[in-house]
Amino acid sequence: MSVQELFSDAELKSIQEIASRYEEPGSALMPLLHYIQQIRGYLGEDEMAFIADFLGITRVRAYEVATYYTLYYTKPKGRHIIQVCRNLSCTMAGAEGIVDFLKKELEIEVGGTTADGMFSLVEVECIGSCDKAPAIMIDGDHHGPVTPESLREILNTYRGKP
Amino acid sequence: MSELKILTKRAGLPDSVKIDTYLANDGYKALTKALKEMTPAQVRDEVLKSKLRGRGGAGFATGMKWDFASKNTTKPKFIVCNADEGEPGTFKDRVILKFDPHALLEGMAIAAFAVDADHGYIYIRGEYPEEAQILMDAVKEAEERGYLGKNILGSKLSFTITVHRGAGAYVCGEETALIESLEGSRGQSRIRPPFPVNSGYRKLPTVVNNVESLSCVPHIVLNGGEWFAGIGNPECPGPKLFSISGAVEKPGVYELPMGVPLRELIETAGGMKDGKAFKAAFPGGASSSCMDASEIDTGLDFNSLAAIGTMLGSGAVMILDETADMVKAAYVLTRFFDHESCGKCTPCREGLTWVKQVMAGILEGKGTEEDLDLLLDICEQIQGASFCGLGDASVNCVTSTIRKFRGEYLNYINKEPRVRAASGEKS
Repeated sequence: MSVQELFSDAELKSIQEIASRYEEPGSALMPLLHYIQQIRGYLGEDEMAFIADFLGITRVRAYEVATYYTLYYTKPKGRHIIQVCRNLSCTMAGAEGIVDFLKKELEIEVGGTTADGMFSLVEVECIGSCDKAPAIMIDGDHHGPVTPESLREILNTYRGKP
Repeated sequence: MSELKILTKRAGLPDSVKIDTYLANDGYKALTKALKEMTPAQVRDEVLKSKLRGRGGAGFATGMKWDFASKNTTKPKFIVCNADEGEPGTFKDRVILKFDPHALLEGMAIAAFAVDADHGYIYIRGEYPEEAQILMDAVKEAEERGYLGKNILGSKLSFTITVHRGAGAYVCGEETALIESLEGSRGQSRIRPPFPVNSGYRKLPTVVNNVESLSCVPHIVLNGGEWFAGIGNPECPGPKLFSISGAVEKPGVYELPMGVPLRELIETAGGMKDGKAFKAAFPGGASSSCMDASEIDTGLDFNSLAAIGTMLGSGAVMILDETADMVKAAYVLTRFFDHESCGKCTPCREGLTWVKQVMAGILEGKGTEEDLDLLLDICEQIQGASFCGLGDASVNCVTSTIRKFRGEYLNYINKEPRVRAASGEKS
């Protein structure tokens, strides 16, 4: 795929700006993967290959970095990603019940995406909201302590969001 | 014990993230003092005198690290702030990142002056996008006002900071793994030596310091190392941000002197939730050994906790009450470590999967008493043979719960009614 098919001029400009922040080309890899995911929702193989070539690093390196870190997705996900913390403070505060509720409410398994493409559900380790256990993250927002009732409302606020 | 208001003194102010608020509340006074009235050696000397030890977990003396770095004259040289705080139970650096970002920037600029560094990076965990944006805005403000950038305040110091987001990997909290990640590789730890102060980012001298450690620096420069050393336990002094979570009424971040007894921290956090009895605590996050009720008066500092076989770590205190299931707790933590093992070394990668499977078997009622010996045997091998400290510490939750709450494991193994576990009785 040609560059023009992959990215708009404005997007290319952003890519160049991000890369220019670093003297070490490899250092721009993670910020660029974040950027691609932000504009595309996930990291496609063509996009990753382009970024690797652009930085002058091997494509496999971009791919191994993308698959190593839990916040990068190499497959399409729902519009909003619900991350439920399952570490100790959240588990003690009832995180398992939260996961069960979401599975029922959204009719998906952990790792799945709703039929309308609105939500994906994932379990994650500590998100640094232990004081608000049980805590979840939706996209970049932290929520907690959550209950099934509060979750219904929270989910509704995201249904309207792009 | 009354809370301190040193590191948290600006956190509650309106618009606390803004440089004007910061400047109106002693902000950048320490950097000004360092640049105009002190030599780099004098700054390092004050930090040495303060006895400040790294607040990220390892507890290495910050002043010593800076001394090593200053002796290496290879250029360029870097200051890297470890804002990855991924240790389960830790959320204390968030208070600074979210409410007092300039304190961190000022600490980094002073560090740069002290060791003659050229550029700074803040490696912030991927789960903190809001805080990353706050930091980027703060860097811009500081550059506009001349507290970062070329020839800061007319001095020879030129230094600015790049905010770099992680993407969800616990191991990146280990300094060499963090550097690998900063270079755009998988976050796997490197062999030490060479230590980052000699060969770090881009194989150049790099000082890696925790957010809270760096945020202590302006206070040390302004008030003197001796003042800092007079707070809390004289052997490892200073104010400390404790993240307390679990079975307390008011989980949160509390600033207390180093060495505050666990009992007093719990009281500060509103006491035990619903008046339940205390059973256990992990005082230094998931990787620390648990404390039981007989140890509740132990001071929370590096030395006092080491003396009872556990550790302060990042000061992430997780409290478990009488209803807690210690086997389940240890399983949840083991599942975490198994998930987060970077896979570089066999003991941690394979050992943790094995430990998790044996633990799961016990929880499912398929365990035997021999499994406990097996677990201790695997744990011993992981602890002795892992590549990095994170691997070594990953099984403390298992060994300490077997040691202190063996009866709860036996309850699962013997399928007895769980009466003993519920009463918190030790066996």
